[in-house]
Amino acid sequence: VSRRKILPTRAALTLTPSAVNKVKQLLQNKPEYIGLKVGVRTRGCNGLTYTLDYTKEKDKSDEEVLQDGVRVFIEKKAQLTLLGTEMDFVESKLSSEFVFNNPNIKGTCGCGESFNM
Amino acid sequence: NVSSARVHTVRTCPALLTSTARYSSASSTKQLQNSSIAADDILLSDSCVKRLGEIMVKGEYLRISVEGGGCSGFQYKFSVDGARNEDDRVFERNGVGIIIDQDSLEFVKGSTIDFSQELIRASFQVLKNPQAEHGCSCGSSFSVKF
Repeated sequence: VSRRKILPTRAALTLTPSAVNKVKQLLQNKPEYIGLKVGVRTRGCNGLTYTLDYTKEKDKSDEEVLQDGVRVFIEKKAQLTLLGTEMDFVESKLSSEFVFNNPNIKGTCGCGESFNM
Repeated sequence: NVSSARVHTVRTCPALLTSTARYSSASSTKQLQNSSIAADDILLSDSCVKRLGEIMVKGEYLRISVEGGGCSGFQYKFSVDGARNEDDRVFERNGVGIIIDQDSLEFVKGSTIDFSQELIRASFQVLKNPQAEHGCSCGSSFSVKF
């Protein structure tokens, strides 16, 4: 059995159709931005939290994910954390948010915003 | 009405007992009966009023309730409700409003309800709660100040 690593060919981040639509919509009237940038920051009761920003350029160390015409960049610091994560956009009458379904995390805070690995 | 609400609280959640009892030992019992006292009110921010105007149909309110849970002991819950119960208080502004039951009001009075819009999420939040000691980063959970 070959033990060849196939991990690098896998997209670091996948987007659900609703996330793709939302990102498209966010970037529609903003030609100055080329995509969104996902990062992690130390914050919250459980260690880490996700950040999301518009980005104007690709940093050297950023990982680029191109899916269905939208571009999402992952900060260097967040690349290991996010590997294999699915980015979803959930909308209800009272709230709407991007949700990261991350297979690497061990636990989350009650609100789901903060997590640890 | 006030005392019956308190008995109810004690029965359902013993953890609430201390805080509720302390509030009533202060002057809040009087304040409860006098709705004109501003410290007892809940404020709605402009963004909250705007958003409620967009999503609510006539007769619908944003219901706020406080439950035990979350990483800091208590957490806020938001829902849409068209029915108004006997022990509910309503706070209105520009034709939209929120309802909150008397037990929950004890924990959030003096707060501001805001609709925060960020890139990563947009949601209703309780801000500047004078009763809350420190919250979770997300603001949905808090602990009570004694």
